[in-house]
Amino acid sequence: MKYFAKKLIGLFATLLAVSFLVFLAFAVIPGDPATAMLGTQATPERIEALREEMGLNEPLLVRYAAWVADFVRGDFGISYSYRIPVTNMIVDKLPVTLTLMALSFLLIVFVSIPLGITCARYRGGVLDHCIVAANQVVMAIPAFFSGILITLVFGLLLHLFTPGGYVSYQKDWGRFLGYMLFPSIAVALPKIAMTTKLLRASVLSETRLDYVRTAYSRGNGTRAVLYRHVLKNALIPVVTFLGMALADMVAGSIIVEQVFNIPGLGRILLTSISNRDYPVVQAIIVCIAFLVLTINFLVDLVYQMVDPRITIE
Amino acid sequence: MKKKRNLKYRIGMILTGITVLFVLLGFVWTPCDPETMDKGAKLAGVSLSHLMGCDQFGRDIFSRVLKGSGTTLLVALGTVSFGTFFGVLIGAFTGYFGGIVDEIFMRVNDVLFAFPSILLGLMFISLLGSGKYNVIIALGIAFIPSFARIVRSEFIRCKNMDYVQSARLAGARDLRIIFLHILPNTTTVLVSSIMIGFNNAVLAEAGMSYLGIGVQPPDASLGRMLSEAQTYLFSSPGYAIFPGLALILMVLGFSLLSEGLKED
Repeated sequence: MKYFAKKLIGLFATLLAVSFLVFLAFAVIPGDPATAMLGTQATPERIEALREEMGLNEPLLVRYAAWVADFVRGDFGISYSYRIPVTNMIVDKLPVTLTLMALSFLLIVFVSIPLGITCARYRGGVLDHCIVAANQVVMAIPAFFSGILITLVFGLLLHLFTPGGYVSYQKDWGRFLGYMLFPSIAVALPKIAMTTKLLRASVLSETRLDYVRTAYSRGNGTRAVLYRHVLKNALIPVVTFLGMALADMVAGSIIVEQVFNIPGLGRILLTSISNRDYPVVQAIIVCIAFLVLTINFLVDLVYQMVDPRITIE
Repeated sequence: MKKKRNLKYRIGMILTGITVLFVLLGFVWTPCDPETMDKGAKLAGVSLSHLMGCDQFGRDIFSRVLKGSGTTLLVALGTVSFGTFFGVLIGAFTGYFGGIVDEIFMRVNDVLFAFPSILLGLMFISLLGSGKYNVIIALGIAFIPSFARIVRSEFIRCKNMDYVQSARLAGARDLRIIFLHILPNTTTVLVSSIMIGFNNAVLAEAGMSYLGIGVQPPDASLGRMLSEAQTYLFSSPGYAIFPGLALILMVLGFSLLSEGLKED
């Protein structure tokens, strides 16, 4: 419990630091938000009035405090280019990106665990060699290129889905998930390869240990030993890896969303970057960082539940 | 004595060799001018005069792949050099001297570490604007934390070792100890992280150019070609497949090479 509290405080401190760094980065850039909103044609008086209204004349720390206070209340400011609250812009996009990540995560878990164990079980065999070689190649394929290949093969040649035919989850959950399955394969593929590779190595090093021999001597079959005894221990490094991979998957999702024409967080982030719509960029980046940090925090907790031997200070 | 290298290393060496050869070739010679548009050859298929076909403006894809690989390689090299240079400086000084500055730097580092590097790159791009050199700076900054962290832990491990103590007794100054005594001993670790960083940089650059906020025309870029090719995916799949293959060749070769080196 003490550990939990300590971790939680650490999480909040990091969250605060992240938000401050992002705020700082966007505060020091040249270019005045008020001018950006009104255009260069505006009179100096109008710009000055807007600066006053937006609180831009306050000192940096005061502005930061105000921003954090708004942020906690769920008010992320007003978009420069659309003139609507940022919160409204991102709140219904968040489930899209989260679904993409959750589906990819499920794929990773359900594909790479059997694959990794199969490899380790038949190590040195033809199947093992094939999977290892395929892994090596798949790891080198960028997610957006596998996305393009998936569009070509499953979409255009096999007609399993309509490329660009995204269906909003507000309209039809079933078809939404059906469409999201394909981008999530693209996001998951490189991570499946890495996880399989890691799990194979981890299972192989476990099988040399005494408890495995004991399990065999008690009359267990190979399958039972691998899935009931070895897997639990072999998963520990994999859990760590998956925690770190999640951060990468957020980035992967942003790109893959573009490949499949999905209006998620990535889409708004990109449009806002090209429009120099800083409040939106700022809000999305902080949101993603929060997401990643929170997930890492949860992974740490899960980690300790999976393996009671681990106690960190 | 020259020992026989493992299979991964050899395949990696061959693939990387092919990539480097093609990139060098692309700098001095391309079969067609990569910018010349030929109205008659719009989206032409694979032929002897156009080994990989033509794009929607009738430009030769093979020439553009050569040029694009060059851009990608240069950006990746620039990014990794930038990240390594500042990462080593920060890591070396904080690791060696420790204290409050170290504490602050490492906290900041931990925070930056929470961001996916491409996201950090995106944030800096939105601040700096796009283009080849800004991509190098943006991704370079995003890569500093990982290098700084590795170098720092190496310095902490080494700073109280016997050879450092002896150097200190012999009257060597801190700067001399840092750069001439400890730094050479971190090369093994540094080289392997540079190689991993290089691959990440290639992928990040391609991703950013694909999104349209990385390298800008007239610089040819593999990522950008892929995003343009997507529109014509059904009618001319080769337009997307060839630049993609070039990208895979580069990443695969380098990752095999670095894994092969580690296993030796």
